[in-house]
Amino acid sequence: MELIFQYVLKLLPYLPLNFFVILCGGLLIGIFVGVVIALPRLYHTPVLRHLSYLYLSFVRGTPVLVQLFIIYFGLPQILLTTGIDMRRTNPLFFVVIAYGMNWGATISEIIRGSVNAVSRQQIEAAYSIGMDSFQVLRRVVLPQAIVVAAPNFFNLVFSALKNTSLAFAIGVMEMVSRGRGMGLVSNHAFEAYLALGIIYYAVYLALMRLFSLAEKRLSRYRLA
Amino acid sequence: MAFDFPFMVEALFKLMLKIPISLEITFVSLIFGFLIGVAVALIRIYRVKILCRPADFYVSVIRGTPMLLHVYTVYLGIPLMFDALAKYAGWSARSKDIPTIAFIFIALSVNSGAYMSETVRSGILAVQKGEIEAGYSVGMTTMQVLRRIVLPQALVVCLPNLCNSIVSLLHGSALASFIGVSEITNTANMLAGDNWKFFESFVAAAILYWGCAIVIEQIMGYLERKMARRCGAPGVPASSAA
Repeated sequence: MELIFQYVLKLLPYLPLNFFVILCGGLLIGIFVGVVIALPRLYHTPVLRHLSYLYLSFVRGTPVLVQLFIIYFGLPQILLTTGIDMRRTNPLFFVVIAYGMNWGATISEIIRGSVNAVSRQQIEAAYSIGMDSFQVLRRVVLPQAIVVAAPNFFNLVFSALKNTSLAFAIGVMEMVSRGRGMGLVSNHAFEAYLALGIIYYAVYLALMRLFSLAEKRLSRYRLA
Repeated sequence: MAFDFPFMVEALFKLMLKIPISLEITFVSLIFGFLIGVAVALIRIYRVKILCRPADFYVSVIRGTPMLLHVYTVYLGIPLMFDALAKYAGWSARSKDIPTIAFIFIALSVNSGAYMSETVRSGILAVQKGEIEAGYSVGMTTMQVLRRIVLPQALVVCLPNLCNSIVSLLHGSALASFIGVSEITNTANMLAGDNWKFFESFVAAAILYWGCAIVIEQIMGYLERKMARRCGAPGVPASSAA
């Protein structure tokens, strides 16, 4: 039992790498990718709309692990044809990009759903009193869309947190790979994975508390 | 270094042989996961006295920890338990006699059971209370009400989420490669290791997974339309022309 506690303490220094770099970095990239993918579908652009749908279908239809491998092995190969040699870069870079692209697909669906949820009447009313499109976005659409998107986004953050555990397959030295290493060396692999599970569950509970507070705050002004 | 297309096609054919194993993992875990999900959902809805707290804890833990950890914990933990039990009971079997695929079945069933309990719970809660009360008033027992009234309508509501669960089980079967089960991702890894063509073999694996996911979505969409016509959405009477 104390072994598990020792393992938890030894694994905790790797949590910031896992959490802040991969999760938050991936989510930031994912928001950019999500906006890019969502825009053609929101504005019904002729060709790009179908490309977006194809991208979404691919990302949602293939396992995250396979996508990680494809980006890690394929991106340097593709970029080599344009002369950029990336074979020596840190795997962390590829991991963040791959997760960004994966979560970007889900984020684009969240964006699309939340923007569609804002009533068209309000947008037309805003245009009719003379606001330009940026003002409409800032004052009418975004406040309401963020409230609608928040629960879905928090669900995405939870599943993203769990997806980050796969990064060890690429060679990133993060929590899971450290846990595996400790388990292999000490023949107490089961305790190492239990310790990992405890850390993930603790982060999950903390985030869940934080997110329910955030949702309560965000829905302050909602009329039921 | 161009993209080696012929190798990708060759890898595609070699990996296609492994599709049955991946689908077997998906569907066996689906069946057991669904059974676990229904049981846990019923426990949580009816607030069964002793089992309710462990059920809540089970769902919370499984939803809060990664699937990979479930796979590894089952793979490492069950042999420990099984060996201890075998030594105590004097069995001749040892944990090394358990086929590896059984561990992934158990791990994925346990994982999907938690998510499916939420799906089934939302499906059961979507059935109108009036119909359940009507069933009781005609004299049906709880089991009869569940079997004849609740579950058919709940299933119609669950189907979209069930489709998501099946696809996520298919993706979860890719994790079996870490245990040593020879399925699509594992075989792609080995092919790539032999030929040093990682990108091509994983693109082939991705195409196969994508194809399977599309087929599953189409089948589930067809089932949704069929069932919506036959059983009716909750609150809507089923059309007489089935």
